[in-house]
Amino acid sequence: MPLDTSAYNLALLRVDGRRWNELRRLNAQIRTQAAADGSSYLEMGHTKVMCVVTGPNEGGPKRGGGSGPGAGGGNRDSKDAQVEVSVVVAGFSSVDRKRRGRGDKRILELQSTISSALSASLHTHLFPHSTITISLNVLSQDGSLLAALINAATLACVDAGIPMTDYIAACTAGSTSTYAANDENADPLLDLNHQEEQELPSLTVATLGNSDRIAVLVCESRVQVSRLEGMLAVGVDGCKQVRTILDNVVRERGKRMLMEGAVEKGAAVGMDLD
Amino acid sequence: MASLKRSAISDPFASNISSKVYVRSTKSGKVQKIVREVYLRQDIPCSSQLCQACLKTAPRNAAGELTPFVLSDRPAGTKTYPQGHYLVPDTNAFLSAMDLFEQSSAFYDVIVLQIVLEEVRNRSLPLYNRLVGLTKSEDKRFYVFFNEFRLETYVNRDQGETVNDRNDRAVRKAVKWYGEHLAQTKTKKGEAPAVVMLSNDRDNLRKAKAEGIPASSLADYVGQLKDGDKLLDMIPDAQDRDVVRDKKSNEHLYPEYLSLSKLMTGVKAGLLHQGIFNVSPYNYLEGSIRVPAFPKALLILGRENINRAVDGDIVVVEVLPKDQWKEPSTKVLEEDALTKNENADTEEGQDFITEKERKALQEEAKRTLQKTTEGHAQPTARVVGIIKRNWRQYVGHIDQSTVSQAGKQGRKQDTVFLIPMDKKIPKIRLRTRQVAELLGKRILVTIDAWDRDSRHPAGHLVRSLGELETKAAETEALLLEYDVQYRPFPKTVLDCLPKEGHDWKVPASTDDPGWRDRADLRDLLICSIDPIGCQDIDDALHARPLPNGNFEVGVHIADVSHFVKPNNAMDMEASIRGTTVYLVDKRIDMLPMLLGTDLCSLKPYVERYAFSVIWEMNAHADIVGARFTKSVIKSREAFSYEQAQLRIDDASQQDDLTNSIRTLLMLSKKLKQKRMDAGALSLSSPEVKIQMESETSDPIDVKTKQLLDTNSLVEEFMLLANISVAGKIYEAFPQTAILRRHAAPSKTNFDELSNQLKVKRGMELNVESSRALADSLDRCVDPKEPFFNTLVRIMATRCMMSAEYFCSGTQSEDEFRHYGLASEIYTHFTSPIRRYADLVAHRQLAAAIGYEAVDPSVRSRGRLEAVCKNINVRHRNAQLAGRASIEYYVGQALRGRPAGNEEAFIIKIFSNGFVVLVPRFGIEGLIRLRDLAEPEPAAEFDPETYTLVTSGSRQVKVDLFQKVVVKVSDEKNELTGKRGVKMELVSP
Repeated sequence: MPLDTSAYNLALLRVDGRRWNELRRLNAQIRTQAAADGSSYLEMGHTKVMCVVTGPNEGGPKRGGGSGPGAGGGNRDSKDAQVEVSVVVAGFSSVDRKRRGRGDKRILELQSTISSALSASLHTHLFPHSTITISLNVLSQDGSLLAALINAATLACVDAGIPMTDYIAACTAGSTSTYAANDENADPLLDLNHQEEQELPSLTVATLGNSDRIAVLVCESRVQVSRLEGMLAVGVDGCKQVRTILDNVVRERGKRMLMEGAVEKGAAVGMDLD
Repeated sequence: MASLKRSAISDPFASNISSKVYVRSTKSGKVQKIVREVYLRQDIPCSSQLCQACLKTAPRNAAGELTPFVLSDRPAGTKTYPQGHYLVPDTNAFLSAMDLFEQSSAFYDVIVLQIVLEEVRNRSLPLYNRLVGLTKSEDKRFYVFFNEFRLETYVNRDQGETVNDRNDRAVRKAVKWYGEHLAQTKTKKGEAPAVVMLSNDRDNLRKAKAEGIPASSLADYVGQLKDGDKLLDMIPDAQDRDVVRDKKSNEHLYPEYLSLSKLMTGVKAGLLHQGIFNVSPYNYLEGSIRVPAFPKALLILGRENINRAVDGDIVVVEVLPKDQWKEPSTKVLEEDALTKNENADTEEGQDFITEKERKALQEEAKRTLQKTTEGHAQPTARVVGIIKRNWRQYVGHIDQSTVSQAGKQGRKQDTVFLIPMDKKIPKIRLRTRQVAELLGKRILVTIDAWDRDSRHPAGHLVRSLGELETKAAETEALLLEYDVQYRPFPKTVLDCLPKEGHDWKVPASTDDPGWRDRADLRDLLICSIDPIGCQDIDDALHARPLPNGNFEVGVHIADVSHFVKPNNAMDMEASIRGTTVYLVDKRIDMLPMLLGTDLCSLKPYVERYAFSVIWEMNAHADIVGARFTKSVIKSREAFSYEQAQLRIDDASQQDDLTNSIRTLLMLSKKLKQKRMDAGALSLSSPEVKIQMESETSDPIDVKTKQLLDTNSLVEEFMLLANISVAGKIYEAFPQTAILRRHAAPSKTNFDELSNQLKVKRGMELNVESSRALADSLDRCVDPKEPFFNTLVRIMATRCMMSAEYFCSGTQSEDEFRHYGLASEIYTHFTSPIRRYADLVAHRQLAAAIGYEAVDPSVRSRGRLEAVCKNINVRHRNAQLAGRASIEYYVGQALRGRPAGNEEAFIIKIFSNGFVVLVPRFGIEGLIRLRDLAEPEPAAEFDPETYTLVTSGSRQVKVDLFQKVVVKVSDEKNELTGKRGVKMELVSP
């Protein structure tokens, strides 16, 4: 067994060798599924998720398709597109093989959080009476699951070409000291892995683009108020780093598509090719 | 087609990321494969103040503060490394010799590798916590180097390589890197300090040598130090090396018990012996068992022989062959101290007998080997089966050092040790999710099981009693620990009380059925004498001269049996409670308050029902006649002992009441003299009184109890009443009378004490009869030391058997004797409010005088035997609880007081410490050699003359019975969170 998070103060190193303000290796690709309207694959450390976006389609999602809660064609009259999110956690994604039921409350909450975050950024008013279906698959879990899911969904929506205000980039932040420990010099931490999430207080934050506007803030652990500000600041800073990485992924891909001629010559391309 | 494959080139970190894969098995036997990322980096500093390169990349925390470098730029040198050196110990070095690293004379500038820290943590959490403590101390200069995260020092496990070999290789690689890294730094002196690996692993040392890495074994290294000889003792023996690792875990730790039928036949055939297992209060690895077949108790030594028996269990033992007979230990072994480094959750990986335990045993063995010729060895035995567990609920607190960091946060299930309040009970392994809440609390647990493959019994939490050292929690802990029923009386019991409640009165009309067969003694001058503030007045007295020159003396006891009828709910409850328990600040009643302090209590100025014993005595206090009757009395006054004494001493008081007390006193003195002549023992136990602050009831001072003539006045008449009643009920119920006996102690009980007296003071202790003993105790006087006699009496008391209730049909008549009181027959009759036995005696006496019909419950022998058995236990527990309560309050009274010097006497000597008794507080304390001076002085213990002579860091000579001065203070052990009275030897 390796050391636990309490060893941080010995040399300012976290359980996996990172410093307090370092993200894990973040790796992403878009257009991984050629047949889908939009798709992405994202790794944050050992957390691996893939995302497929279908739509916007008119009419409700097909019955029986992996739809989220409240799905059911009630959106025919609505002026905005509905964002339906379904999260499937693979049984093999964590250490213990565990089957999660469809009605798992934790997954329902993940779905609704992602759905409301994306609806705010996507220009849903352009697609009345229609549905955008986002299917997320969790292949491997190692902490910061919600953040990874939001990032993957953002990328897939970009790939699907759905107009949106800006990226929603997410990451987690924590603190090196537990709620109970009355430690004055607790450092905030960025991007927690599974072990850290288990042992330390943490929150998930997502921001809109490069701004400080927060789209999602979820905190399920007890945190001392005095530490919250530091954690939030680090988290927002992390979101900006994540946005840069996501943006690079999109640009890389765009560049390659242009090179390969996937985009018609002469079509208006608002970016420099070098 | 898009591929999910990542190209290596696109990932700039690829070479810097590795993953750590390891397999762990859960408690349920599931095997999990855990994969963790490891980010390798190059900015982990060497932390040497010599190094400039590392300073540039040194990490900063969120506030931008730089962690100062730890390792000195001018480390100490040794013969081999004159240029100075940094130490890199491997795991075993820390595991086996943590004490060494904590020395203040050496071991500075130590590099603790991450891999070593991890291994230490897995082996022993307490040691890990100590090591982390070292790294935090500024002057020791311990630096944790995260070698597993530094690119250059990271080591991949090779195919087929064991984890241990890989870790050793990682250590060597880190040492090598350090050496090369420091060599690049230019020092003014020229040469960079050497980086030396410390290891006890021969293989590792050999490989290091082959790779040209400076390395040394602990012993070699310490040998080079200035005060090396002293430190060498702290290194465990060479043969114990390497044992900690690679220990097979699936073998059973304890031998199996024999089957019940085998035990039974063995006991019947006399090959095995059954008895109650007792643990020595000073040595947790030594137990004893009394069996009918041997005059002396059999010794049971060591974990394996004790074989999972817990104090109080009824066990079956087998006597070991003669070559394994041993002397009882002269060493104090405390479990906390010896096994403090144990890990609660990974105990499978550990040796069955810890190294320190083994060492302690070895010393014992050596000592007995030298002496076996002298024939002091006692028969020893081993436990082969358990007939009945006597497990109860235990109160204790969690050993803080066994708590992991994760556990403190209270989310993960954690395994911790519970240290029971009772020192005789082993540590209990506890699995709990709420460690954080339970730390620093008194908690109640039960033992569930003790399996063959588990070193310690496993238990579970029952509930938490509250913060340690709060009055409520500690009092409840005491009550639970001594199994005192303290819950409020249930409604069914209260329903049995008279409906009138406090308004109940003796009926005015003598025609009332309540008056049937009652003598009207309301005009007698009766008074009661009790301690100050006594509310439950059981007894009152009167005396008056008779026309014939004799005296009429009456003892009037509260007539509880009038209110408590046999077999109703109240009677049941009282028989379960057995006795009222007196704690310093609290009384747990046997009967509801209404009866105890009002209706039964013989309060002054009101009429009360009583049960009277009335004698006619002549002036020599010889009994001319006695009668027993139920009565109605009216006490004229309730005196305290002091008040009564003042009244007697004040010659101006000549009223009838005072004179009758004077008569009583005169008669009581004669009675006492007679008793003494018959050989009654005057025994002693240290008694103190706690003075409380009246408002907060916080203890403020401790005083020894004063005994007045009036104390003995009451006592004499109570004894007389008890003896008279005992005779009467035995006459009426030869088979079922409830009596109390005190068996003569077996001679061997006094062997040690009489030998001690002979050797130290040239005094003889004659234990032929109680008379002879009483006389010889009287002769044990030290003219220079008045307390000496009391001291001997205290020690003699401890050699005695305890008195017990019994049903007359269960013993032959010559076994009835009460040894201490030198009476042929005895019972308890005089305190029915607070003792159940007295209540039974009342019913029997009432039946014997024809007052009421015999109730079947007081005639059934089986029933009475059960009652006796219960009240014997309750009586003993009540005494222990009372004593423990006093002890707790003495501790509390000492708290916050400046430590004072007190006189004390040495009452027991061990080879590594001695026990002193402080008369002023009535407490005993253990002073170990290691408390005398730092480092622990060497000592020579001579069991023949009971002397302990220390040498080295502190030179003292202590003798048994010697008067010493100790500093008594109150101390809290930070490691275990236990508060206790601490005693330090001041002089000699």
